[in-house]
Amino acid sequence: MLITHTINTPKPVTPSGALVLLILRVLQSSSLHGYAIAQRIHILSNEVLAVEEGLLYPTLQKMLVKGWVTAEWGISETNRKVRCYCITPDGRRHLETELSDYDRVTQGIQEVLRTA
Amino acid sequence: MGEFFRRIQYLLNRRRLDRELENDMEFHREMAAREGRNNFGNTLRMREQAREAWGWTWLDRLGQDLRYTARTLARSPGFTVTAVLVLAIGIGVNVAAFSLFNMVALQPLPVRDPNSLVRLERRSPQDYTSEMPYLSAIFYRDHAKSLSAVMAVLGVPPTREDSPTAPPVAVISYALWQHRFAGDPSILGRTIRLNKKPATIIGITPYAFASLGGQRPDIWLPIAQQPYFIGGSNVLNDPSNSSVRMWGRLAPGVTKQMAAGELLTLTNELRHQHPKDIWDNEFIDIHPGGHLQVMQAEMYQVAALIAMLTLLILAVACANLGGLLLARAVTREREIGIRVAVGAGRFRIFRQLCTESLVLASLGALTGMALSYVVLRVALVRFDSPGWLSPVPDWRVILFAMGMAVIAAIFFGFAPALHIARQRQRKTIVRQILIGLQIAASCVLLIVSSLLVRATQHVLFTNPGFAYQQLVSIDPQLGRYGYTPASAQAYLSQMQDRLRALPEVKSVALVKLPPLGHSVSRMDTEIAGRPVAIYPNWVEPGFFQTMSIPILLGRTFYPGEKRVVIVSESLARKQWPGQNPIGQLLGDGPNQDTVIGVAGDARVNAMSDDDAVEQYWPAQLDDMPDMVLMLRATGEPSGLPPMAKSISERLDPRLFPEIRQMKLLYRDNVQQQVEQIAATVSMIGLIAILVAAVGILGLVSFSVSQRMKEIAIRMALGAKKFDVLTAVLRQFLWPVAIGMIAGAGVAAAASKVLRRILFGVSNLDPASYAAALVVLVAIIALAGLLPARRALRLDLAKTLHNE
Repeated sequence: MLITHTINTPKPVTPSGALVLLILRVLQSSSLHGYAIAQRIHILSNEVLAVEEGLLYPTLQKMLVKGWVTAEWGISETNRKVRCYCITPDGRRHLETELSDYDRVTQGIQEVLRTA
Repeated sequence: MGEFFRRIQYLLNRRRLDRELENDMEFHREMAAREGRNNFGNTLRMREQAREAWGWTWLDRLGQDLRYTARTLARSPGFTVTAVLVLAIGIGVNVAAFSLFNMVALQPLPVRDPNSLVRLERRSPQDYTSEMPYLSAIFYRDHAKSLSAVMAVLGVPPTREDSPTAPPVAVISYALWQHRFAGDPSILGRTIRLNKKPATIIGITPYAFASLGGQRPDIWLPIAQQPYFIGGSNVLNDPSNSSVRMWGRLAPGVTKQMAAGELLTLTNELRHQHPKDIWDNEFIDIHPGGHLQVMQAEMYQVAALIAMLTLLILAVACANLGGLLLARAVTREREIGIRVAVGAGRFRIFRQLCTESLVLASLGALTGMALSYVVLRVALVRFDSPGWLSPVPDWRVILFAMGMAVIAAIFFGFAPALHIARQRQRKTIVRQILIGLQIAASCVLLIVSSLLVRATQHVLFTNPGFAYQQLVSIDPQLGRYGYTPASAQAYLSQMQDRLRALPEVKSVALVKLPPLGHSVSRMDTEIAGRPVAIYPNWVEPGFFQTMSIPILLGRTFYPGEKRVVIVSESLARKQWPGQNPIGQLLGDGPNQDTVIGVAGDARVNAMSDDDAVEQYWPAQLDDMPDMVLMLRATGEPSGLPPMAKSISERLDPRLFPEIRQMKLLYRDNVQQQVEQIAATVSMIGLIAILVAAVGILGLVSFSVSQRMKEIAIRMALGAKKFDVLTAVLRQFLWPVAIGMIAGAGVAAAASKVLRRILFGVSNLDPASYAAALVVLVAIIALAGLLPARRALRLDLAKTLHNE
């Protein structure tokens, strides 16, 4: 399970939806293999978020089928043949719309929390 | 769209992609282990979860279920073969019936654009005729723009644009060419004589020739030359003579409604030209004509009846198989218990069992289709069907068979699967209900076939209300040869005088609609709120004596009498219950007729329908061109036709009267037909009872083998043989009894629709019911006792030792 105790996920963005968002975001700059994706998210979140393989790989498979990412063979830092995932134009588009949605929702929530 | 294709790709490259996924996850673990984090998740399960994203898990599970099913079925070949055979019979009978219906009513004729072919008939709210005057047909042909072609057919479709003055020509059928002319290749151009008139053969229709309305004549002549072959005929120029059949082709883009609208205006125009000959509110009825048979409402009734009977067989087969599945479930208790124990959910087991049922049903449907194909092939050859008809299943039949398989699977598999998945297979109540169902359905089928067998016997050994054995009918078809009422009357009276002079002739009479004639008239009315079919006829005073129909009350007509009517006994009873019918008025408005006599019931025009009633009017001068002579011979009638022929020859050599012996006609038309129906239905009934018997046999022997130990202990303790038998068979007693009672009840209610074809046998005929029930009890007893006997021959020591 994705440990999300620090992010109060707004309703429209489901946990796995949030994971898709995070994966797409870390793939935006460079293509990475599965373990590196998990690592990157872990580090970037100041070691708050830990992505487990039980959720990471199903999500990656879903994204492959959706056409948001593709997989290519690459060589790992340990010199092992491994698949690297890179974002597709479709994935970029998806990321953009999701991000704006996410912004809107969090803004809305913050607004409520501030004024209510 | 793109996503769909990607999914397909994932399906096709499943193995490789799965390996790659495995590699990904392995690598993940290696890396995690390096950093000192150990993950103890179930890799297989995780991979399965990841694969679920591809959306093909259901296919994998289906594959698993199918493989498992194949193994299970292969392990018990006896059960599998029995089940498939039972289903093949149940589904095959239905597929065969549907294929027949498909060939007759659904398959388009193998001609260009069959869907635009239409049959055109005259109809009004009160009247209907399948034929129309030639002049009307020509009028419609020349004026209707919504029809791209109109064919007027006197018996058969025309061969080419024809004219009355062209040299007479004929086209002959392939069959006639083969049989009569021995396939002579130089036949074209040869002159043949028809009605003594020469005609040149100009063509032969192909072997697989598709003609309209299922008619298959041997000789085709141009309609405009009809007067040449039938001297004096006025069929082509008499606007009141309805005797041609009209077919048409809808023009491209024209719907039935549009054509109907246009034809209605044309009908109204025709009324202006011939006010007498067009009915009030007449319109042209348009039916699709591009099939072997143009279906009428009554034919759908027959089709529904047959469908009901064949579905009953399927019901027997399904109930039977359901019982077998339940019985098998007891032996599979261990297997299913183990599967539940290792974590299979009820739903998973239920689905597995349903897959098994579907596989069995599909195998059954395939075998059934093969069976139906073989049976239909044989039948088509035997009944000399048109060459283009093929019993090879088309998409409709295949779809139907698939549907049947699914329905069958639901019926025989669903309840047992539910039962087994809940692990309640030892409960007997469902099994008992299934036995009851089988018995009830077989009971209905047996009673119906027994009724039909009785009807056959009745036809063979009783009279249809008149003594037909010594009757001969002579139809001179005077109307066709242009006789006027007066000349027809003169001809008929001379003919009668000369025939009466023969010592072989006992009496002669005239009738408009003779028994087994070419046309029948029927009036459907209601008497006291119940529908009644009245068969009207126009006769001469001597008709009743010649036909041996008794006059029960009153008298017969006087010569030249008008506005009087004789009714049959049943009509009198229905119309005036408990009153004297003589002197009553019949009909409505100003056209009322006085009843002067009551005749015995005689099914002159509706031999098979016991509910039919008759009404006779005295024939008037205008009826004379349509009258038919009926002769009663003093002895054997076979010598009469040649004599009658030579008398007619001398009187008017132009005529070719149709002379028919009632005895032969009756045998060919009525007896054979009813025998065929009875034989077919009896076969269906027998199949049903055999299937049911096999089912009971299986269930009893199963329950014996289940209770071996108990029986052995009882016998060891000194139980009598009879007690042992009762113990084994008791659980079947009630379902069988209830099934039989229910079946008899359903048969009694449903057989009302059969009355019209039972030739006077009551649909509640006790003898038929008794016979059917006795046969049923005998077969069931045999099926029950045979396996039960095994219980008595047990080797006690061995059985008890084994356990």
